[in-house]
Amino acid sequence: MRPEPEAATAAYVAHHFPDLRTQEHAARLGMWLFLATELLLFGGLFTAYSVYRYLYPATFAEASQHLSVAAGTINTIVLITSSLTVALAHHYAHHGKGRRAALLLLVTLGFAVVFLLIKAWEWSHDFHEGLLPGRYFHSTELTANGAPMFFTLYFLLTGLHGLHVVIGMTVLAVLMVLCWLGTYDHGYSTPVELGGMYWHLVDLVWIFLYPLLYLI
Amino acid sequence: MATTHPPHAEHEQGPAAMRYWVVWVLLLVGTFLTFGLSRVHLPSPFHLLVALAIASGKSMLVVLFFMHLWDHPGANRLVFATSIFFIALLVGLVVMDNATRYDLLNPARGATLQMEPPGPDLLTPRGPPEPSRRLDTPGVEEGTGPSR
Repeated sequence: MRPEPEAATAAYVAHHFPDLRTQEHAARLGMWLFLATELLLFGGLFTAYSVYRYLYPATFAEASQHLSVAAGTINTIVLITSSLTVALAHHYAHHGKGRRAALLLLVTLGFAVVFLLIKAWEWSHDFHEGLLPGRYFHSTELTANGAPMFFTLYFLLTGLHGLHVVIGMTVLAVLMVLCWLGTYDHGYSTPVELGGMYWHLVDLVWIFLYPLLYLI
Repeated sequence: MATTHPPHAEHEQGPAAMRYWVVWVLLLVGTFLTFGLSRVHLPSPFHLLVALAIASGKSMLVVLFFMHLWDHPGANRLVFATSIFFIALLVGLVVMDNATRYDLLNPARGATLQMEPPGPDLLTPRGPPEPSRRLDTPGVEEGTGPSR
């Protein structure tokens, strides 16, 4: 049975907050500030992308043909679906169903592994073709001016995004264990919400990477 | 601090799980839409603009419903809107800087290599020296090269 919220959640309130609601608002605001810095981190790379796409429009379109659109599309669907499972996990954790939330987080981690496997296949294909960043670029099929810069940006953007996937997986794995142990079954599920927000940010960045890299 | 917050009473309960499924379906529709439109090959500016518009719509769905900005008070929205505003400013101004430069300053421009200098070339009035007459050509020792 779920206990009475007022009595049960009092234990979670830090002494410098008057009540749990204020504490949750502060936590969310802090998370949004952190996500804003993450967006600005990616914003720098998106700026570099914009400049070089402006300078080499034809080359970017040609270089994009050498990426696997199927892999990019499948990865988009995988990440969108993993965002759904994270949102549902928070929903169930919020309603005191920690076991179900843990299972949904497990499904999310499965999607994340699928995403990384597809990404690894793509990268190994690129390595094999010589589609490498900067001066390591040695493709024989793609010789247009500016192609090394496309692949520099491709590897920086997908690499930074992939790093975020791995960090998000770590956070979600910890939350999964805690959900399974019933830590958030008593009316306090803010950590699940904040961890989920990080994962949604990863999804958000990919939503822009997909058309900008694969569908030029 | 008031003990009750009537406008947020609904949030305490949280939205129904059905809402997330609807958003998921809309995100899938957006994905297939952007994929389909990319195969149509729209004319140059619309190709990018349509892709960005769909991506913005999808990300708004994620931010508003998966990340709960729809239910949350203004401060969080302000943080998010501010970060988007500054990214737009950064990307927009840097691209505009490149777009309004004198064309020769853009090394990537194919036309740059074919362009004539805008006026008399003051530094090398007779053009650059022949490769064989250059002082730094391998095999030509210093002092024995042609005098300039």
